[in-house]
Amino acid sequence: MAKSGAGRLSGARTTPSVPRLIGARHFSGTRIAHLFTLLALLVWWLYSQVVPVYQMPGPGAVFLRMIDFVTSTYLLSQLWVSIYHITVAIGLAFVIGCVLAFMARFVPVTRMLIDTVLTPFLNAFAGIGWLFLALLWFGLNHTTVIFAVTMILIPLVAINVRAGLQELDEDMMEMGLSFARSGGRRFTKIVLPLLLPYFFAALRISFGVSWKVVLTAELFGGNAGLGYLLNVARQEFDTETIFAIIAFILVFVVICEQLLFRPVQRRVDRRFSRA
Amino acid sequence: MHSKTASLGAQRAVTVLGVVLLIAGWAWAARGQPEYVLPGPVAVLQAVARFFYEPQLMAQAGISLFRVVLSVVAAMILALTLAGLVRRFSILDETIERRILTFFNAFPSVGWAILGVIWFQISNTTVIFVQVAIILPFCLINALAGFRQIDPDMDELGHSLTRNVWRRFRLLSLPLVAPFLLSGLRVAYGICWKIALVAELFGASSGLGFQLSRAQSVSDATMVFACCIVIVLIFLVTDLLFLKPLVQRFSANQ
Repeated sequence: MAKSGAGRLSGARTTPSVPRLIGARHFSGTRIAHLFTLLALLVWWLYSQVVPVYQMPGPGAVFLRMIDFVTSTYLLSQLWVSIYHITVAIGLAFVIGCVLAFMARFVPVTRMLIDTVLTPFLNAFAGIGWLFLALLWFGLNHTTVIFAVTMILIPLVAINVRAGLQELDEDMMEMGLSFARSGGRRFTKIVLPLLLPYFFAALRISFGVSWKVVLTAELFGGNAGLGYLLNVARQEFDTETIFAIIAFILVFVVICEQLLFRPVQRRVDRRFSRA
Repeated sequence: MHSKTASLGAQRAVTVLGVVLLIAGWAWAARGQPEYVLPGPVAVLQAVARFFYEPQLMAQAGISLFRVVLSVVAAMILALTLAGLVRRFSILDETIERRILTFFNAFPSVGWAILGVIWFQISNTTVIFVQVAIILPFCLINALAGFRQIDPDMDELGHSLTRNVWRRFRLLSLPLVAPFLLSGLRVAYGICWKIALVAELFGASSGLGFQLSRAQSVSDATMVFACCIVIVLIFLVTDLLFLKPLVQRFSANQ
């Protein structure tokens, strides 16, 4: 994989993918994609002309509402609350998920308990269930939201890190053993770097899922954040605000994906490709 | 730090012990707590049992299962159509991967739920629309990956052996793509149960999601627990009985 810079990695895939070279076909493909975007906006606008505004506001109205959004400090502060919820939840989920995954690997007697009972159970438990239980336990506040999002993210992190641990190259480990007898050194110099791509995949998935879930959590269990705003707008049939918030999240997630995750993924792929 | 293993017996013992300890800890924590805060394991088990003999609750679970299955099938067909389009007209791949997929991937699920209710009111259509919209990106990612994995040489070989498109599809493309489709199906089915229940909270007056929200609104923690456990049970049983054998069958074909 020499010139990965020319490669293109598709959306939410987490496995390192083989980059393809950009040719003339790619260029016209981009053009068609832009055309499609314009066409979709046009259809949206046309449709919004026929149906009542509470069902489907036009792109113009939604865009104006988004501008309000950016300029109003109140709305921006709600956005920060949501980002705060997500950051804390991802952090907690990483700690707990990693503890589960590492325990399954390094404390072998617990392997079956974690791999066949705990992780599948957490994985199958409905997100809404955690949310409602948290509501009953903690009431309407930050704790409820963070708890619900964390519980949903834990199995995702655990599964990814566990997969990484299972893929650990035994030859590498053996080589490490012949260089250093200190378990700590082998851990930081070999295990952690080898796990990096999996940590990154877990982070990327967690980020995507947490944005979706945090809104639900805030809608039912929060007294602040974008989901709370969404709930207020829903009760007032303020469809323009609903669209504006959704559009805002779409833009935010896509920007993070394009500017942050995609370039980092490319570097990780280049660094860790075994080809 | 080479991989250590423990004997199967010891692992099994720890597993059983762990589960027993967890349940005992739960019972201990619930002792003395009012039922609406933390119901004990026995109360929850009784509530779960009600799903097996009360026809009304059974119907709620049944209708949820029906909606989830319908949504997964619909989403898979849509994803296959889109991925098929990419394969047939490769010029569309930018449009579908970087526009449609990105859009659906980034769209918040509650957004769909709220919009679904605004557009279709409270109905089965709303629930299925919302669920399809939520799981479509997961199906699409797998369908695209599956079609991309088809070896062009294999395709050529197929071409030289038969001109019949249907036969080529049935004997060559399908077995090659099936592992990806089925793993996508399994993921989508799991997500549908977990996240897409949101759809029923807003858009339905029946089903497990509705049951959950009703239990929550009257602070019936026992029922909330029971609904969650019933969901886990339905998911595990259907996965074990239908999806796992299907996945195994087709991966053995490879």
